Amino acid sequence: MNKTTIGGTKRKAANLLAMAGLVIVFAAYMFPFLMVVINALKQKRDIIKSPFSWLFTIKGLSFDNFVKAFTQMDFLNAFKNSLIVTVSATLLVTLLAAMLAYYIVRHNNGISKITFSLMVASMIIPFQAIMIPLVSIYGGTLNILNHRATLIFMHVGFSMTMSVFMFHGFIKGSVPVALEEAAYIDGCSRTQTFFKIVFPILKPIISTMVILNSLAFWNDFLLPSLVLTDKKLLTLPLSTYSFYGTYSADYGTIMAGLLLCVIPILILYIVLQKQIISGVVAGAVK
Amino acid sequence: MRKKAAARFIVLGLAGVLSASMLTGCRFGFASDPDDPNEAKKEEPIDTSVDTYPYDSSLEGTEITLLNSKAEIQVALDKMGAEYEKKSGVHVEVMPVTDGDSPYTKVVSLYNSGNPPTMAILDTTDVVALAGEKALDLSGEPWIGEAPGYVTEIDGKVYSLPLCIEGRGIIYNKSVIEKTLGEAFDPASIQTQEAFAKLLDRLVDAGMEKPVSLAKEDWSLGAHQLQYIYETYDGTSEGAQQVIEEIKDGKLDLETYGRMDQFTDMFDILKQYNVAKGNPLGADYDEMAIDLADGKTAFWFNGNWAWPNIAEAGAESDDPYGFLPYYMNNDENDFANSRIQASPSKQVMVDGQYADAKQQAAAKDFLKWIVYSETGQQMLVKTCNLIPPFQNNPYEPLDPLSRDIYEKMRKDEVFNASAIVPNDHWAVLGAAMQKYLADRSDREELTAAVQDYWAEQE
Amino acid sequence: MKSNKRGKDFCIFALPGMFCFFAVVIVPFIYGVYLTLTDWNGVAKVKNFIGLKNFGGVMKDTQFWTSLLLTFKYVIAVVILVNLIAFIIAYLLTRGIKGQNFFRAGFFTPNLIGGIVLGYIWQFVFSRVFVSVGESTGWNLFGVSWLSDPTKAFIALVAVSVWQLSGYMILIYVAGFMGLSEDVMEAASIDGATGWRKMKSIVMPLMMSSVTICLFLTLSRAFMVYDVNLSLTAGAPYGTTEMAAMHVYEKAFTSRQFGLGQAEALLLFIIVACISGIQVYLTKRKEVEA
Repeated sequence: MNKTTIGGTKRKAANLLAMAGLVIVFAAYMFPFLMVVINALKQKRDIIKSPFSWLFTIKGLSFDNFVKAFTQMDFLNAFKNSLIVTVSATLLVTLLAAMLAYYIVRHNNGISKITFSLMVASMIIPFQAIMIPLVSIYGGTLNILNHRATLIFMHVGFSMTMSVFMFHGFIKGSVPVALEEAAYIDGCSRTQTFFKIVFPILKPIISTMVILNSLAFWNDFLLPSLVLTDKKLLTLPLSTYSFYGTYSADYGTIMAGLLLCVIPILILYIVLQKQIISGVVAGAVK
Repeated sequence: MRKKAAARFIVLGLAGVLSASMLTGCRFGFASDPDDPNEAKKEEPIDTSVDTYPYDSSLEGTEITLLNSKAEIQVALDKMGAEYEKKSGVHVEVMPVTDGDSPYTKVVSLYNSGNPPTMAILDTTDVVALAGEKALDLSGEPWIGEAPGYVTEIDGKVYSLPLCIEGRGIIYNKSVIEKTLGEAFDPASIQTQEAFAKLLDRLVDAGMEKPVSLAKEDWSLGAHQLQYIYETYDGTSEGAQQVIEEIKDGKLDLETYGRMDQFTDMFDILKQYNVAKGNPLGADYDEMAIDLADGKTAFWFNGNWAWPNIAEAGAESDDPYGFLPYYMNNDENDFANSRIQASPSKQVMVDGQYADAKQQAAAKDFLKWIVYSETGQQMLVKTCNLIPPFQNNPYEPLDPLSRDIYEKMRKDEVFNASAIVPNDHWAVLGAAMQKYLADRSDREELTAAVQDYWAEQE
Repeated sequence: MKSNKRGKDFCIFALPGMFCFFAVVIVPFIYGVYLTLTDWNGVAKVKNFIGLKNFGGVMKDTQFWTSLLLTFKYVIAVVILVNLIAFIIAYLLTRGIKGQNFFRAGFFTPNLIGGIVLGYIWQFVFSRVFVSVGESTGWNLFGVSWLSDPTKAFIALVAVSVWQLSGYMILIYVAGFMGLSEDVMEAASIDGATGWRKMKSIVMPLMMSSVTICLFLTLSRAFMVYDVNLSLTAGAPYGTTEMAAMHVYEKAFTSRQFGLGQAEALLLFIIVACISGIQVYLTKRKEVEA
């Protein structure tokens, strides 16, 4: 009896300690974001001389940075471009990767094995190693750079590896073959079976991949900067270029621009948040 | 669950507030400061009433591109392109070099993609690297005659238009010096290292603890400062080239080369009075501009491109700022002690490989327009805020730093020596200079680093 | 009939995805390997075949080996810290603590921002915010910018990487813990296994598959660090924080030795491939078949 009480208090104390620790670590995690939000509302001089102060020295706290960022980025147009690229690339890669992963899991043949190992291996190719060959093939030989479709295609190609890897794990662990066999007996074709039976089961991992891929596409800088040069096609991260001068950076506008870029993806994340974790639970670890 | 909803609400609310305020451009807070540096700067009006430039109507409808590696004039170039299009019907698309990319990398990848810009604003070294393979021969262009001494020739041919002159030296804030010392300050009276050091001492005695701002950036240290050892050989590009060749071939020993020692002497002086002496590698570029404008310091080693930063820090365009030379020794007759280094640093190259004849003609016409048309001349100076290398351009730069260079050019108080060094010179030797700045190496090590660098070049 | 159907399956299911992957990753990679055997400088029209000369150049490039050594140190620090922190936080976040969903979402936020921008924010925090905190509080720790001292700049780089990577790993570990069935944990408690023993003998073996993935992801990402390296320190002070990937980039574009840079990139790939291969093999052996 006595023992349990001690155990109980001990446990309570441990919980409290854990909670306190978590809060401290969490605060440290959020610190840079706090700095961004605070400084996005300040003038350059105050940002540099007193980055930490806010409420103490309100001197012309303003939304000027946001206005400047909004107009200089041509926000609405860039937003539209980012949206088109992100949505199409995400839909495509999700569909194609799910199908490819399904094929690999269900057909344990040579092609599957080789493709899968190549994909895992290619996750560690430094992007710098294929950057120039990539533009030289797609620009020099095929001459199809500077189109949204090319960028979407490349996004799909680069994110295929990680996506297939995740889908592979999920299908292997959580999609029972028995269900499919039942469908065949009912006269479904492979394609029908996949879309009617398998795809719905994949829902959790699909949310996970949707958010992870959209994040990557939304924020990517290097690849779009290689593919897109036409100003009308620039995506959000590319459109913040002018805030970084040759000699010094315009911190206030950068931070305001950053917040403008992040807000849409933050909303998506909050909406899908719950599914993401359950997707990883069922997928990656198996 | 309630928390999630709350979070969603907050985010949406924040987004709503932000967008609403963006649309109305509202600002809140207390009374806005009349000297607010962030107040939108009044744009210099461009007079387009007179335009005698002969536009070529056959070029109408041509589309050309201009790769811009000078991020700070991106907006200005856009305007310039639009103005030119209005008159000529040629569409000029200005492409930026995005951050994280070097201009050279960008050009190379664009050439690889088969979609290079019709024109590219590049550093002189980049033009030299690309000229033979890619650039259009511009030797027959009329503007060459308008920029005597500022055109870069490669194997006897001209491949680029010098877009602007950039000068560098020790920027001074005259009013601060005069206020601190309580007497008039004549920059021309300082002609030797000794005199400069004495002035610094007097400022210290008068209460300015550390009068110098010294950048930690590798491009400032490795390119703008260290390159004085080549440029002051005799103050010409040929001389700089010659001394580089000699160092490379091992004919010239830096240990005994006077300019090397003189340079480090001067650098030591700047180091000693550096406002960030306690932590020289922690110096912040923007803070240096603020310190200079506020009068915490009186000097900053930099170039006329630093003006926007100083202006942002609160300086007005009629404040008396100017340049002192980078004093190399105590000889009053040494040109290095009385002249400022000023040379054409940005060049416009025209693509000779992919662009068709019409595009090439349009590109050439655009360059001519910049040099000869009333509008182009004005916009180069007023909109882009550059110092034109062309003697036919009657407009004077607007900011005190550019004006100082401009006047010195007219008074023959500048020297134009462009040292063509390998592209990684500033990065590799900038690191060696940082080490020296932080007292992690001594003079011998620095000299050896420079020597070693050249020994590795082929 | 059957093989025909198989062919059709292959075309519908596997081919489109494989095509994207091969066209965008594998073909350029192979072309890149070919380029290491030439003297191409990135611009010239002609490419001369020069055999393995570029690889000889790699051997002579001492800066590359220095940066590689630094990368090893960095990778070790990052991999250990990321996994340790992520594991502990994930453990705490699956014990039913109040607001754990909020925490989980919060810890993931660094992933919402791209690497280059992230580096700039931290550069600002280290060089301005911390210094200003140091000035007003007199704490020596923040007296001078961390980025101006080689050791502290390295620590800053590790800290930022840990901050950035751990959110993702927390997610995977959380998933792993949630996958552990309650029965296992309860059974362990009834058996009297508590604290460390429970962790070591029951939880760890079941978590090994998560560990495998997290180690693999952190290893490869840490080896390839570029964005943050470029925007946080750019190698400063005096080139002491230049990692391998950044060196490769500099070699290829700033020093304009394209073939050499490409060869170094290839070598880096081989090293990372070997190390992650060994890691996956070793940790896989410890996994219990569920």
